[in-house]
Amino acid sequence: MNRRTAARLGRYLLTFALVVVAVAAVYPLLFTVVSSLKTQAGFAEDPLGLPAGITLDNYLEAFRRMDMPRLLLNSLITTVGGLVLSVLAALLVAYAVTKLRFRGGKLVFLLIIVTLTIPSQAIIYPLYQTVLDLGMSGEYQGLILAYAAFGLPLGTYQLAGYFQQVPDELIEAARVDGAGHFTILFRLLAPIATPALAALAIFNFVWMWNDLLLPLVIMGGSDSKTLMVGVSLLSGQYDVSVPLVSAGLIVALLPVLVIYLVFQRQLVSGALAGSGK
Amino acid sequence: MTISTTPVPEPVVADRPPEPVRRPARHARLREWWLGAALVLPALALAVAFKLVPLGRGVATSLESSSGFDGTSFAGADNYVRMFDDPVVRSSFRNALLVVATLPVWVVLPLVLAVLIHQQAPGWKFFRAVYFIPYTVAPIVVGIMFRQILAPDGPINALLRRVGLEPLAIEWLNGRYSALFSLVAVALWSFFGLGVMTYLAGLATIPGETLEAAYLDGAGFWRRLFHVVVPMLRPTVAYWSVLCASGVLIWLFPLIYALTQGGPGDATMLPEYLVFLTTFQFLDRGYGSAIGIALFVFVAVLSIFSVRHMFTEGTRKPR
Repeated sequence: MNRRTAARLGRYLLTFALVVVAVAAVYPLLFTVVSSLKTQAGFAEDPLGLPAGITLDNYLEAFRRMDMPRLLLNSLITTVGGLVLSVLAALLVAYAVTKLRFRGGKLVFLLIIVTLTIPSQAIIYPLYQTVLDLGMSGEYQGLILAYAAFGLPLGTYQLAGYFQQVPDELIEAARVDGAGHFTILFRLLAPIATPALAALAIFNFVWMWNDLLLPLVIMGGSDSKTLMVGVSLLSGQYDVSVPLVSAGLIVALLPVLVIYLVFQRQLVSGALAGSGK
Repeated sequence: MTISTTPVPEPVVADRPPEPVRRPARHARLREWWLGAALVLPALALAVAFKLVPLGRGVATSLESSSGFDGTSFAGADNYVRMFDDPVVRSSFRNALLVVATLPVWVVLPLVLAVLIHQQAPGWKFFRAVYFIPYTVAPIVVGIMFRQILAPDGPINALLRRVGLEPLAIEWLNGRYSALFSLVAVALWSFFGLGVMTYLAGLATIPGETLEAAYLDGAGFWRRLFHVVVPMLRPTVAYWSVLCASGVLIWLFPLIYALTQGGPGDATMLPEYLVFLTTFQFLDRGYGSAIGIALFVFVAVLSIFSVRHMFTEGTRKPR
């Protein structure tokens, strides 16, 4: 076997390995989609094969039982609220600590990123108590503020790192030309940091939309509970019908999947650019 | 302070540095400090109200004996002493150690995939897109989904039976070790894409020629991986390892919630689930807080390294 055939064989093996992982990554989702399109009887007959006939009844039933539109709305409000608030707060901090003569800025920066070491799982009860004391239990603002606080360290870090790369001369030049601080931040720095902002927005959207513990504890059984809390009830309640549960799961995962596929390029370039230091 | 609406001048990159600006007067400096203080206020308020205050209250609660709906009383270190003798707590931390022992897989598997994608194997863009998909699926959804897939009559066992591996078609979620193994495997399915993305970002910072030489060099794949790529990628490998090590202590909550609820017995009981269970199911708030603080200490010790890295990255002036 000469060198070239060996190289080619190696390439085939390599591609094969990548394909195997790709199948493993996608198969569980395909199985769930296929199951969701089967009738209950059809699933019982042949749980693994393709459906004999496609039915959308499971989706209708899942929407009806779970009050899906309300859950979707709750998730959307809290996710977008938390995402906007945390990115905005991070933008302001990043500007203050990197571009202002602001004594104590480093300390503030350190204090904020240190909170990364406090996971929600460890402080969940006192956090719940605090939200309760603020009168925000079961309210959108309670979850939004909590999301914003937990998204803050990473956002501050990424944006500060990005702003740090912008030469101070550029800021001085804009200031000499009469630009105010907010113009500099929102019209000069934010556009430069677009890749980081995009990656941050997508990343925050994914974890806030998908989070279970914070909404489970803060929203509990209220009408403002998020989609993931609603989905978590699926695991006990209608366990018997795999097709119905599957339909609920697909509805729950579809929004993030669509957002990811649409913004895939921005996410990749943002992730790549953010670390290009 | 006024919000100027003058259009931003074209960000010209000057050939020579602009004239140094005159040192601002004292009061202008002071004004700038107040502006800075106002800008960091919202973030500080969020961090204090939803992180630091709860942490402080958690410490306080952990020193109290408060069970059920009874009142609370100061209990000193009782809750912490109790933890050392509690078999459930001990097995939860032992399970956490077992999970941490799988760390090499978490570190190496995404690395290999990232390198294969980075050297532009056929269809690499497609694979890069597909590998991140599992990470976008909510862990609670992943958990419920895999309960169906790992069911005794589910597709995994059907596949094993079909290829003649009947003895391997076990009750995945119901064995002393198979349950923990399944939990970790599902978590790996859920998070490996994030690792691939992280490594790709790291690889992008290495000059192309350096890597290309390594890829084309005659040495075997594994040797190149560990002798050429890993040393160059050390910061990324370190970052991802630390993230995973602290992550296994906190990422698994929704998976446990959906897959095993800590069982069978306490085979898949991990600290993050135990905090929730003790506090909200058994209503033992003081004890739950103590376990939470112990968990915080473990996570903090692990992730303080990434915080240090982040601090230097975020405050360093560009070269």
